[in-house]
Amino acid sequence: MRVHQFHPVLAPGDAMSNHVFALRKRIRHWGFESFAYAVETKPGVADVRTYRRMFRDVRPDDLVIIHFSMGSEVIDQILKIPARRVLVYHNITPPEFFGGINPHAAAFARLGLRQLARIAPAFELAIGVSEFNRRALEEAGYTRTARVPILIDWDHFAVPPSEVVLARWKGLRTVLLFVGRISPNKRQDDLVRMLAYYRRCIDPEAHLVLVGAYRDQPQYHARVVALIERLGLSGAVAFPGGVDDPALLAYYRAASCFVSLSEHEGFGVPLLEAMRFRLPVVAYDAAAVGETVDGAAVLLRERDLAEVAEACAMVTERSDLREQLVAAGERRVKDFDPEKVAERTREVLGL
Amino acid sequence: MSDIEPIDVDALMAQVRERIREKREKGIYGPDVEALLRVPLPGGRRIFSDDLQDPLASLAEALDEEVEYDPRSRKPIVGPLITYARKAVISLVRWWMGAILERQERINRLLAAAYDYEGQMAPRFGARLERLEREWKERREREVAANLHSVYFQARFGGDEPVIRKQSEAFVDLFAGRKRVLDLGSGRGIFLQLLKDKGIGGYGVDLDPRMVAQCREKGLEAHEVDALTHLRQIEAGSVDGLYARHLAEHVLPGELIEILRACRRALAPGAPLVFVTPNPATLTVGAHTFWLDPQHLRPIPPELFKFYLEVEGFTEVEIRTFEPTEKRLREDVPEGPIRDNVKLLNKTLFGDRDYAVIGCAPAK
Repeated sequence: MRVHQFHPVLAPGDAMSNHVFALRKRIRHWGFESFAYAVETKPGVADVRTYRRMFRDVRPDDLVIIHFSMGSEVIDQILKIPARRVLVYHNITPPEFFGGINPHAAAFARLGLRQLARIAPAFELAIGVSEFNRRALEEAGYTRTARVPILIDWDHFAVPPSEVVLARWKGLRTVLLFVGRISPNKRQDDLVRMLAYYRRCIDPEAHLVLVGAYRDQPQYHARVVALIERLGLSGAVAFPGGVDDPALLAYYRAASCFVSLSEHEGFGVPLLEAMRFRLPVVAYDAAAVGETVDGAAVLLRERDLAEVAEACAMVTERSDLREQLVAAGERRVKDFDPEKVAERTREVLGL
Repeated sequence: MSDIEPIDVDALMAQVRERIREKREKGIYGPDVEALLRVPLPGGRRIFSDDLQDPLASLAEALDEEVEYDPRSRKPIVGPLITYARKAVISLVRWWMGAILERQERINRLLAAAYDYEGQMAPRFGARLERLEREWKERREREVAANLHSVYFQARFGGDEPVIRKQSEAFVDLFAGRKRVLDLGSGRGIFLQLLKDKGIGGYGVDLDPRMVAQCREKGLEAHEVDALTHLRQIEAGSVDGLYARHLAEHVLPGELIEILRACRRALAPGAPLVFVTPNPATLTVGAHTFWLDPQHLRPIPPELFKFYLEVEGFTEVEIRTFEPTEKRLREDVPEGPIRDNVKLLNKTLFGDRDYAVIGCAPAK
């Protein structure tokens, strides 16, 4: 038996793609042959086969794991290949976040939600990476579901942090950090507004770093940049784009606080990364965020930007609070210990 | 690891809100910063999830929106071909598109009609809102008899200038040596004149432009603005005394508390504050003379006013009553229970007509 994984797009630095590769590494370690397939493979990713090869590679007693986070034109063809099938659901950003900004993404999200419900009978099991996702699967009509968290491979962070990034950011009093694709559901625009309060009412020298690729949402990125100019914050907000591991590590090391105002996360890997690298987390409670941080962050139930800013300031200023959060964060990361998650994955997949 | 306390987010948020409250009081977090937090995302429509928070307004915008599509391709060499192909496809599917649009239009209209029918709110919503606003305004005006000709009213019931002067004199000394005392509702400027005579710096605000003009004629500084607005506009700690005669009974309790908070912000540390108002503890006032002015909204018992000041952080708060009623029951009866009863009746029925509540802004 072999294990094949499919997702329409595999890209470097993307939490979902990292999950696919981490899982492949484990499955190979357990002694199975395992491959990853995609329709589109972005530069910087190696060892991915085109989805067309699935029609030749997959045998009826193989296991096919379909990762689902967006609509896809080829999904119906792939489901025609006889094999055992398991769906891993990473959640679909609701289309209403893209309406008015990116109609193409909105259409794809809508397609994804329709497909998710339609293809339910084709799977023997559907896995949600969070309880939030598992419930969404049930609502979409999946009868056998399980929750297995994302498998995070911390090994690729076993690199020295980027000196260039550290030199630029280390030692500044306030560096607020958010990591995630620049996308309307992540609400980087509200982070920028929050920074306006921060600079007026707390620290006029505060900076905001928005790490994350912006090529998928160029319209939203352009409008956030225009907002930054309108608020007179040019120079106070940095968009380093999607960064490599040493740079990402350095941002986590240099920042004073990780802040998330995201309104939709299927899991929220950067929240855990921040905790892993001893950064206190302030986050708005939406979708799977509360479940992922589980008490190890300042979780805000109200969306009041002044309160968000003051919470960040308190976390930055008060070392006792900071220590408390960092300790809680480190403990929370242990709950997602790769060994434990891998065992659980193996168990539900029946390998 | 078990020695780590769990994070009490509620306690933390209470501290966060306290910090914000302090910044609001100091004027650091004012309307200008609030405006920054509301700046919309430039360059196009709002994010749809935000629209869903205010669906009625967004619906109106969406209905007026034109859908534009430019079939031209800007790619080199193959561009014109792509443009041609797109145009060809558009012309081929236009009947089909038309049918879909027609169906959508029908759905929109049916939905709107269904909402009108079931919701009972949407039909002529704007007109209903306008009527409500008009009725609310009328109610406010009727509450204070805004249609009464105030000139005649002033002539019959308005206070005597010498009486008011005599009353006010008692409080001038509280402000001795002050540089900038604010008189809220300064009226004809009687108190301002007294301040000036004693060499105390001061100015007034009043809503009535004629009163303000009268003050200016006398060479007194006065501005036409309402008390709360003015208190919020001026810099924190920029006045070193506050006097407000017969203002508190013209506002609702919530408004009075807002005014007291704004006073606290505006006053320099330790500066005195005096509010004079009718004394409803005297029954002939509370039951009768208080209501001689239809603009009076509520009588404020002295104990309550004192409590307001204490709760809002003023120190050394005291009550002083004055202006005894002229009419009294005769007390020249032999000593004993009857005389005691008469005294008690006099105090209850014919006691002091006005009182002042005096406090100081906190020292730090």
